[in-house]
Amino acid sequence: MDKKTKDLMPPGLSYMADNIITKHNILGAARGAGAKWAEGLNLPRQSETVFFAGCGYQFSSDLESLMSLIRKMDKSAIGSDIPMGLAGLQKKIGVDFAGMYRKISARDKDKAGQPLKDAVNVLRGLGIDFGYMADDEPCCGGLLHYIGLQNEFGQNARNTYEIFKNSGVKRIIGIVPSCTYTLRDLLPLYIDGFDLEVKHFLEVVLEGIGSRELRFPRQVKVTYHDPCQLSRYLGLIEEPRQILRSIKGIELVEPEWTSGEWSTCCGGGGGFEAVFPELSEILSVNRTKELLETGADIIVTHCPGCIMQIKNGLKILKRDDVEVLDLAQVVAMAMGV
Amino acid sequence: MKKMSTFSEYRKEIMDAAHNERVGIALSRAIKSYRSNTDNALKKFPDSAKMAEEVRQIKEKSIGEMEKLAEQACEAIESNKGKAYIAKTSADALNIIGELVGTGKLIVKGKSMTGEEIGLREHLEEKGNEVYETDLGEFIIQKLGSKPMHITSPAIHVPREDVAQLFSKITGEQLPPDIETLVATARRLLRDKYFEADIGMSGANVISAQTGTMFLIENEGNIRLATGAPPVHIALIGMEKLVPSFGDACKVAEVTWRYANYTVPSYVSLISGPSKTGDIEKVTTYGAHGPKELHVIFLNDGRTELAKHPVLRQALYCLRCGGCLYECPVFAVTAGHFGDKYFSANGAVWAATISHNLEKAAAVAYTCLTCGRCKVRCPVDIDGPAMIINLRKMIAGQE
Repeated sequence: MDKKTKDLMPPGLSYMADNIITKHNILGAARGAGAKWAEGLNLPRQSETVFFAGCGYQFSSDLESLMSLIRKMDKSAIGSDIPMGLAGLQKKIGVDFAGMYRKISARDKDKAGQPLKDAVNVLRGLGIDFGYMADDEPCCGGLLHYIGLQNEFGQNARNTYEIFKNSGVKRIIGIVPSCTYTLRDLLPLYIDGFDLEVKHFLEVVLEGIGSRELRFPRQVKVTYHDPCQLSRYLGLIEEPRQILRSIKGIELVEPEWTSGEWSTCCGGGGGFEAVFPELSEILSVNRTKELLETGADIIVTHCPGCIMQIKNGLKILKRDDVEVLDLAQVVAMAMGV
Repeated sequence: MKKMSTFSEYRKEIMDAAHNERVGIALSRAIKSYRSNTDNALKKFPDSAKMAEEVRQIKEKSIGEMEKLAEQACEAIESNKGKAYIAKTSADALNIIGELVGTGKLIVKGKSMTGEEIGLREHLEEKGNEVYETDLGEFIIQKLGSKPMHITSPAIHVPREDVAQLFSKITGEQLPPDIETLVATARRLLRDKYFEADIGMSGANVISAQTGTMFLIENEGNIRLATGAPPVHIALIGMEKLVPSFGDACKVAEVTWRYANYTVPSYVSLISGPSKTGDIEKVTTYGAHGPKELHVIFLNDGRTELAKHPVLRQALYCLRCGGCLYECPVFAVTAGHFGDKYFSANGAVWAATISHNLEKAAAVAYTCLTCGRCKVRCPVDIDGPAMIINLRKMIAGQE
């Protein structure tokens, strides 16, 4: 990135962009740190169909800690009028991000990967044959596109495509909405003759589920929060609802005005939460309030970013009586896998 | 101390707004009623969506031929015995209007975002004129010394208690925070000004190039009075408001008010030339009951340049219905602070391309969530996130 770019691009974004470019993940974590969730699942590393885990779920506990730290700084005097990158801030106040990742307990790490494990079990339960590239999985680089670094995105897109091709991948099952959209809709813009079939987990589930009986362990009132990238970008609005409605024990309730294509963003999108941490928190509270108005016991959504934001919203509103679950977890529970 | 950067200043401004509970309350009420009114209006007139698609096509075509349409409109207005001008820059527009107005005049003004864009009121006041904003919201803004926070409802962030306080100060009376009393007070304060004014000023929502007819949509009736009572009417119109025919303009007008949450507005004024009569011996005489003079200034100021950009040109399709703003989660807590002269995505494009303020454009562009709900609402399908991402690319020096 040239100097002009760094000058005009808000703090936080250039840091994440550098991480993608140099470390192949948003957080700059060491290679292989993310794939730990899949240990013990015995997924083949090579397969024509691969499950694409993305950064979001794997690093969700890291992201949560990082965001809570950034928010604290944003509310203090440090964040308010010294525009600087996270890297600069790290130097100034002596925060060791890398060390912080290590400090996150193994238990939290486990929880972080849960939706991914559940998704894998659901797909297996449906008899789908697939692999997982683990630490060979490339970063989709989507964030680079959203923050305006199209040249870097293009470069990353070509590398990513090559990695898939070299390991013989033909079909991808994505789960993080943003990664899936990037792989399905943005990559082809930069690659001639793009021929990977990209589907979202929900589409695969809906095709495979047929007339299988699904039952949630208890009787619950559920509301569904549409992630922007899943509804307005990927166009998957009816699919999650069809799945939820087919599960016995679940009563689906919708917020007034703000569901489906009209759903309100959780406040974390395109790197926004890193540029405006406190504003992002205010937006998460607003969205959480809309969802709580439905009187639901469980808020179900299907995006690691949304989960983090809504959890934080509930925490601020002191509503520990309401649970946030990923749709993959809900389906796994209903299938008993 | 080092001067705060544009980004820091802007960030402080939007965070102050986000922490202001009154802004949040005023907006959440406004959003609720906007959604239910619009829902109602669209149900009552189910053809609106189809008409909106037609309008998108009309705008797409018109934006590509603004120069031709402006010339055509000028010809039509001149043949209607009005005077028409094309201002290349905002400075040119201010000069033209400044010369027409002169100094020491009393001016009544209808609300105009194009006027706001070039600082028209301030310019005329500096030249020693007395200017009254006559739209209630804009009048409040003027008296508060603030800036509009929404396209169609400029004082959207000011609750009634604050208005009562303001009007009490102006009148020297103790006014209660009762909306009806406040509206009556504004009427009383402005009533005589229309008839004392030397000049009435307005913008326009859309203008037909073939006939030179401008359409002015309103509910209060202030535009009728301001453009009808004084002896001179001056209209400042951005070139993006031009469409080929009268029929096209009708469609644009209807779609504009429908998505601005109205089934139908109380008033639509159509003005093509100065007031005239031939009632005595069929001799055409100008200045019967309405203005004797009509001056129309078309503002380019970078619009024809912007029209050449494949993605950002969409900003020129905007009908200024304000619907997108009610759907924006950031706008819901910051109001018009999320913007520059215009708001959200369009505001960012305007800052970068028309105002050439890339720093401000960057600050606004990175405040967008790219969540895309604005696009779902937009009658002409403007892709806010696509424009924002394109701007970011520009900011990153990759275009």
